[in-house]
Amino acid sequence: MSLLSALSVSASGMAAQRVRSELLVENIANSETTRTAEGGPYRRKDAVFSSTPVPSAFSSLLDEQMGSSLMGVTVAGVSVDTREPDRRYMPGHPDADKDGYVAMPRMNPAEDMVDLMSATRGYQANVSAISSVKDMIQRSIDILR
Amino acid sequence: MIDGLTDSLEKYMDLLSARQKVVASNIANVDTPGYKTKDLNFQAEFQAASYLNNPLPVEVPDLPVKNDGNNVSLDREARLLAENNLRFTLASVLIRSDLATIKSAINEGKTSA
Amino acid sequence: MTGPITSINPIPNLAAIQPAGQSSEPGAFQSVLSGAIQTIESANQGATTAVQKFLTGENEELHTAALAVQKANLMFDLGLQVRNKVVDAYQQIMQMQM
Repeated sequence: MSLLSALSVSASGMAAQRVRSELLVENIANSETTRTAEGGPYRRKDAVFSSTPVPSAFSSLLDEQMGSSLMGVTVAGVSVDTREPDRRYMPGHPDADKDGYVAMPRMNPAEDMVDLMSATRGYQANVSAISSVKDMIQRSIDILR
Repeated sequence: MIDGLTDSLEKYMDLLSARQKVVASNIANVDTPGYKTKDLNFQAEFQAASYLNNPLPVEVPDLPVKNDGNNVSLDREARLLAENNLRFTLASVLIRSDLATIKSAINEGKTSA
Repeated sequence: MTGPITSINPIPNLAAIQPAGQSSEPGAFQSVLSGAIQTIESANQGATTAVQKFLTGENEELHTAALAVQKANLMFDLGLQVRNKVVDAYQQIMQMQM
């Protein structure tokens, strides 16, 4: 297993952070949505990360059996917020119920903004890792020059 | 010139690239709940008489744990990324210089054969 | 006029020819040469040690190892060039007509 497999690991990190960012952006955009296809207000989504061994086209059977210690990351699933939605008193709103309350998404956009910044930072760190590993591979090739 | 130094340098580069792979894993898992930072015991592996092709990573003690059980510190990983890269570059340049000296001895110092 | 054959005078004894290059003290050139090789070898050894120390982390200073390696390389190159010049000079002398 060569240094090239580290590129797969960092690529998996980038993909996972990107999925997470997409979900967070969706949350922020839908922070006031009262109507969704499933009925009811928008429910906050989050990505569930899990670390998995990284398969690679070049890895040998021996590597896989020895249990590669290189752990990439995948998005194991999307967790949807199952808490009761917020109820806000807004009589006159088209979605208000008989008491004048509207079910609003239970979300804190500030929290999602901070999570988005953290996902960006994670993404950039993975990009740095790819760049650094690529540099090291280049140095190995230079020995031949 | 073809002494144990080139072998040492090759072993050094092997361990550095293994360590860089572990650092890349840590960075990819910076937001995975429950993931613990891993590292190699570099000096012990380097000075061991024989080493496995896949040195085993060990867990790093004394790192602050976040709420989701993850203890990856991006600052530490970024520092290791840069340091491993620099050491690898140095080893590569030293090996090249060793080999170039031997080559010049073969060519008897003449630029045109 | 012919006369009786007289005996040939014996050739005076010449000193036995000494084998070339044999003298009672070592040639100055030989000692200079081995001294130079010794210096280059010890510089190389010093560079190897410095790099080993850096790799194992004993002496953390990178510039010490880098300087030692460069010095050893330069001394080797210098020694190589001097050797080439000496060989050229020797060949020129050998080509001189006696």
